[in-house]
Amino acid sequence: MALPRHLFTPSFRQQHLGRSFAAIVGIMVFIASFATAAEAALLTVSYLWGQTIETRLTVEIPAVGDEAAQPQAERVKQATGIIRAIPGVGFAMPMADDEVTRLLEPWFNDSDLLKTLPLPTLIDVERKQDATITADQIQTEVRKVVSDAHVDDHGAWTQDVWRLVRGLSMIGGVTIALTGFTLIIAVTLICRAVMAAEHETIALLHLLGTDDRDIAHHFQLQAERIALRAASIGFLCALAVTGALLYATRHIADLSTLEIRHWVGLGAAAFFVPVCAIGIAALTARLSVLRMIKSFP
Amino acid sequence: MLLSFENVTLTYPPERKVLDDVSFELAEGGFCFLTGPSGAGKSSLLRLIYQAERPTSGQIALFGTPLNHHNDRAAQSELRRKVGIVFQDFRLIPHLTAWENAALPLRLTSASEDYIKRHSRELLEWVGVGDRLDAYPTELSGGEQQRIAIARAVVTRPRLLLADEPTGNVDDETALKLFHLFDELNKLGTAVILATHQGHLVDKFGKQAVRLRNGILTSSTFKAA
Repeated sequence: MALPRHLFTPSFRQQHLGRSFAAIVGIMVFIASFATAAEAALLTVSYLWGQTIETRLTVEIPAVGDEAAQPQAERVKQATGIIRAIPGVGFAMPMADDEVTRLLEPWFNDSDLLKTLPLPTLIDVERKQDATITADQIQTEVRKVVSDAHVDDHGAWTQDVWRLVRGLSMIGGVTIALTGFTLIIAVTLICRAVMAAEHETIALLHLLGTDDRDIAHHFQLQAERIALRAASIGFLCALAVTGALLYATRHIADLSTLEIRHWVGLGAAAFFVPVCAIGIAALTARLSVLRMIKSFP
Repeated sequence: MLLSFENVTLTYPPERKVLDDVSFELAEGGFCFLTGPSGAGKSSLLRLIYQAERPTSGQIALFGTPLNHHNDRAAQSELRRKVGIVFQDFRLIPHLTAWENAALPLRLTSASEDYIKRHSRELLEWVGVGDRLDAYPTELSGGEQQRIAIARAVVTRPRLLLADEPTGNVDDETALKLFHLFDELNKLGTAVILATHQGHLVDKFGKQAVRLRNGILTSSTFKAA
């Protein structure tokens, strides 16, 4: 059974319902694709960044007041030596004084002042990927040779960052869910409007012996066709805007570390949105017609 | 028996009785005019047959199936597919061409696209609008629209054809031509119930007739129920 393809087309066109339908699907797909791409990018970058930061820690060797009694260089050398000897440590390297000064400059805004301050020496340590040794255990070992050494595993502030990432991710998820919900409501209302406009045609189809499911199927196909075009446009626009934003913020968020599989994953996550939107539009059209058509003679 | 009415009453709220205790039967392949003045209840009787209305009381059976309180929509659709209807107002879909309108019931069957095109076009030629296949209803005269509505009603070779004032908008000569058209369809095996207020034409045609007045069946050549 195949009803004429353009049976309800005039109502979708002439009463601007089709354009409203297409615009709503397009905008919803744009928002959801953009949110999904942003969320997926955020989670991927956070994950990669977390993988790096979680294996790194910093050992601080405070500056000593009496350099002659216990030279700082000797303390750093002893500390570095004992750290490198710890099983599970893959890398330990003292940072140059210039590097420490460069890190602190933004906080003091006066490089001359920094030169007069007793700055600590920082040792950059990287644990092996499968190492189980903790920051506390490293600190215990280091303090055997430098009693006032302190180990910072970035735990405190990375937890805050993770909370922020989770919060942003939740906002993205809620945005996508709300977008889907709005799409369902909009498609339902538009289908109801088209059905009201096509009341006589539907009543005639009934009298000719058309099943409700066939009429609903026809609406579903119409919704799919419109949604496919609109979702494609919305998706491409979202990709373009996301690409432009990533390019514009490349100095902030360096995505060069992403591998091809990550990009494929990001693309798949974003592509999932228009596919879902087409499915939601088609299913909503079918269900709303089946529900409303029961009131027809 | 193709169709039977048994003590059927139809009342519109609050208490307007349009059919009162109507009983009759129609045999398979029969032909009958349904006559009476405007407002006599002819259209309401037809609406009961094609299940656009439900009787207030009484029993209706179509093709041996009782229609009263029929809630199964799939079964209702199945029955409706066996009935062709020519509506008083034609009810052609304005954005479909003449042949698309005529072919619509065929699309509810498993007929192939090739058969649908060929058969509906042949039928439109038979009813005399073969040269207006691609015209839209708004481009057609009342008579042409009428013929397309008839073609749509019979394109699936229904067991029963219901025609509600199919000659209401045409002159007597054209009306007689249309009556002959229905007679030819009847000879092909389709039972016909034709509602008309043009009693003088019915007399000329010499077919069985049932007369309604104020919802009451006043005379009938049908076999009494």
